[in-house]
Amino acid sequence: MPDWRRELRRRLAGLDVPPTRRAEIVDELAQHLEERYRELCRSGMDDATAVAAVLEELSEDGALARALAEVEPAAGPEPIPPGAPRTGGRLGRFGQDLRYGLRVLRTRPLFALVAILTLGLGVGANTAIFSAVHAVLLRPLPYPESDRLVTFWGTAPEKRLPVVAYPDAMFVHFQEHQREFESIAAYSSGNAAISGEGEPERVVATAVTRDFFQVMRQTPVAGRAFLQGDGAPGSGSVVVLSHGIWQRRYGGDRAIVGKPILIGGQPTIVVGIMPPGFDFPRGTELWFPLVLDSRSLDNWYLSTVARLGPGRSVADAHRDVLRMTDAFKLNRPADFRDAKPGGSRAVVKPLLADLVGDARTPLLVLLGAVGCVLLIASSNLGNLLLARALARQREMALRCCLGASTGRLAAQLLTESLVLAVLGGGLGLLLGGLGIRAIRGLAVDQVPRLAQAGLDPVVLLFALGVTLVAGLLFGLVPALRGVRVDLIEGLRDSARAGTAGRVHRLSNGFVVTQLALSLILLVGAGLLLRSFRRTLLVDPGFRAERVLTARVQLPWPKYRSDTVLRVFQNRLLEAVRALPGVERAGLANRIPFSPGNPQQNLLVEGHEPASGEAIPVVNSRVASVGYFEAIGTPILRGRAFLPSDAQDVAPVVIVDETIARQYWPGGNPIGKRIRTSTDSSAAWLTIIGVAANVKHASLRERPDFELYRPMLQTPTWSSYVVIRTRSAPEGIIAGLRRVVMELDPILPVSDVGSLEDAMASSLSVARLTNLLLTAFALLALLLAAIGIYGVMSLQVNGRLGEFGVRLALGAAPRQVLRLVLMQGLGLAAIGFGIGLAGALLLTRFLRSLLFEVEPFDPPTFALVSVVLAGVTLLACYLPALRATRADPISVLRQE
Amino acid sequence: MSDLEWKKGSAELLLLSLLEHESRNGYELHKLIESRSRGVLRFHVASLYPLLYRLERRGLISGTWVEKPGQRRRRYYRLTPTGRKILTQQRRSWNAFAQAISRIVGVQHA
Repeated sequence: MPDWRRELRRRLAGLDVPPTRRAEIVDELAQHLEERYRELCRSGMDDATAVAAVLEELSEDGALARALAEVEPAAGPEPIPPGAPRTGGRLGRFGQDLRYGLRVLRTRPLFALVAILTLGLGVGANTAIFSAVHAVLLRPLPYPESDRLVTFWGTAPEKRLPVVAYPDAMFVHFQEHQREFESIAAYSSGNAAISGEGEPERVVATAVTRDFFQVMRQTPVAGRAFLQGDGAPGSGSVVVLSHGIWQRRYGGDRAIVGKPILIGGQPTIVVGIMPPGFDFPRGTELWFPLVLDSRSLDNWYLSTVARLGPGRSVADAHRDVLRMTDAFKLNRPADFRDAKPGGSRAVVKPLLADLVGDARTPLLVLLGAVGCVLLIASSNLGNLLLARALARQREMALRCCLGASTGRLAAQLLTESLVLAVLGGGLGLLLGGLGIRAIRGLAVDQVPRLAQAGLDPVVLLFALGVTLVAGLLFGLVPALRGVRVDLIEGLRDSARAGTAGRVHRLSNGFVVTQLALSLILLVGAGLLLRSFRRTLLVDPGFRAERVLTARVQLPWPKYRSDTVLRVFQNRLLEAVRALPGVERAGLANRIPFSPGNPQQNLLVEGHEPASGEAIPVVNSRVASVGYFEAIGTPILRGRAFLPSDAQDVAPVVIVDETIARQYWPGGNPIGKRIRTSTDSSAAWLTIIGVAANVKHASLRERPDFELYRPMLQTPTWSSYVVIRTRSAPEGIIAGLRRVVMELDPILPVSDVGSLEDAMASSLSVARLTNLLLTAFALLALLLAAIGIYGVMSLQVNGRLGEFGVRLALGAAPRQVLRLVLMQGLGLAAIGFGIGLAGALLLTRFLRSLLFEVEPFDPPTFALVSVVLAGVTLLACYLPALRATRADPISVLRQE
Repeated sequence: MSDLEWKKGSAELLLLSLLEHESRNGYELHKLIESRSRGVLRFHVASLYPLLYRLERRGLISGTWVEKPGQRRRRYYRLTPTGRKILTQQRRSWNAFAQAISRIVGVQHA
């Protein structure tokens, strides 16, 4: 008898149908032919004739295939025999695994959804925070060889002065004697009013020494930088414009170079325009030449920026600065009575680190936090996959029996994890993009360089890396675990018993990790929240509600005489007080949360420092009549300023409680005298009042020495108007602008805002850090809860038979409940132990962000432990409840 | 209706009728057509099976592999509810057609 199948396969070779269908057709038709052949044989035909007859009935070659081709749909993609070796090499196998993985995911939509969402949140949070970290901390400054740029300043911790700027004479000395720098420059930022065409506006203006642009290695896109002689007395005023203001105010017109514009009412020649993106010091729109007086020690106001010599380090620079400072002071014993060799202090910092400043710690803390969230998310996914690997043991065992190698199966499982990872990563990228936008929106003004945060190639690469690492992390263990198949156990349906123990140990490990990480995050968030609450409870020394503040600066030379200043300021106050809705009004040269902090020496009569002893420094303010009432700073003793504290009477001063307590503890400072200069001919100031301590730069700062001089005795050209209003302070803004305009139309009113807003914005970085860290901690808690729930469910399901038998043998449901809960709490206890140890180690890094709260704060640790224990109990309760309902009969029947 | 379609239509009618009361495999169908037509009509592999598959695709019949103890598995076809409906329709029009033909043919011989 011929091989009918082979004959049919030959004839159908050209037929384009799926292989499984082809096999069916061949099977069916072969049977037919065989029976026909048998029948013909039975009817007496000899073998050869019968075969010939059957073949004839099959008709000529090709007819069958053609007839079938009309009926059968063409083959689609070939079905994949999972785990079967296949041609197509590694890539072909990967494609096959990929398709199979996608198909498996489609069959379990809920699992896929939870997994992708979990991973998406983890990757999204990481991408968003990393983009901020990259933009702010990691990206080099946009200047050539920017790693050689440093800044330095003096410091005097013994006088409570962390930052001491330099006077002209000292900086000139540095320029002449430095050895480790390629070039050094000094600058001083302030602001300036531009008038002329268009609205008058006040912009950040910086006076810079001639070397400044050379240090930064910037050349103007039009015109020139500063030359020798620019800004010298007698020469006309010159200015360099930022690219931004050139575009905005002058429409990018190159013809502006060489022409005068009005700055502070003075014609000033534009000599150059800087390239776009040059933004140093931050926000500067105008650069003026700064000419130093090599003898002046009067003003300590110069900041520095310098370029290290080739191959020189920050430490080299630090030694150089100390050497020069020592030499300078020792050469002038009359000016520096307390100077001694090696007595100078200075800080040298890479420019990038200095610019980033306070944003560094919160960003790194947040990066650590999102890293933890990702670890938790990954271990959660690992658990889910592990549970699934367990449920699929029968499938794996079967495929092993069919000849799939374990490596092949592991590759398959791993590919499935990677499919999840890629989908989750895609979602993460989406969420990350939204997150970046949200963070930028919330803090772009407070954090330098944050504006550039975005999904740039580095961030994308990071997200990809995070996704792949997470995919491998949560995929690898289950993949290795899932293919360690015991064939007999696996094929028997009761796969739980045998391998369950080992798998459970693994998933228990995951749960312990999750709890430990959650605890660390919750403790961190708790500490920050407690600090924040403490901060909000601080008495700032003034009442911020319903206070409007605005800055008015009077340009030189129009307001050069003290009399003109006094007249203007009196008129301004009168006009403002006459505005409807104004309760009180006053002026001061500095107000809380305004930039800058003028300081003077403090010499108290009867407490003069001995020679060689440090002279204390005091924050110095000038305030008008009515200022203390307007801002709400209480006068604790004596009185506030009166119109009678004028230029023709003996100079008076108000000191703060810190000075009073330091020099007259328990006594009365009223009538005592102080001086603000070491010059023995300087006038004595008589204390007429003691004001409450006031926070200036931050609610978290320590109380400092502070004194107030009356504005009538020391008129200033720059002052803030402080207005206490009867209703919302914003209602006064238009009236204030009108009043100033009527007094002098060239005066811009700048920095207008409520004191409450200024106070809130001083807290915005802390608030954002808290918000994010709390959100991450809660996310971690949620993920951990899901993780515990999942693991306990899995374990309870595996032990339903046992629980059923226990119940059948007379155990009370309560006892079974306790059994499961104790198991969950046991895990929790281990997680707590590790988490507490980790928290103790890690919260130290939070120290700089904490306020009046210790890194080891027992209430926080206790509260977090209770919350976590509660959540753990809750997550264990549902599976435990199911255990109490185990029915031994149905469970045993399933076995 | 073209000649080809008509033949196809009648072949369909034959198969559907044979499956009306019980399910049968391909070989049985082949034998039944041959025996009941007393050798006049013959359906061999190349015509029978494409037709069966076509009927199956159109949902008029459905085939299942059936395993019986001691035998190789075989594919059995049975009528679906749709097939039953179509069978009734086709049978009705076949009858009308046959009557019309016989009326014409019969008159001429009378």
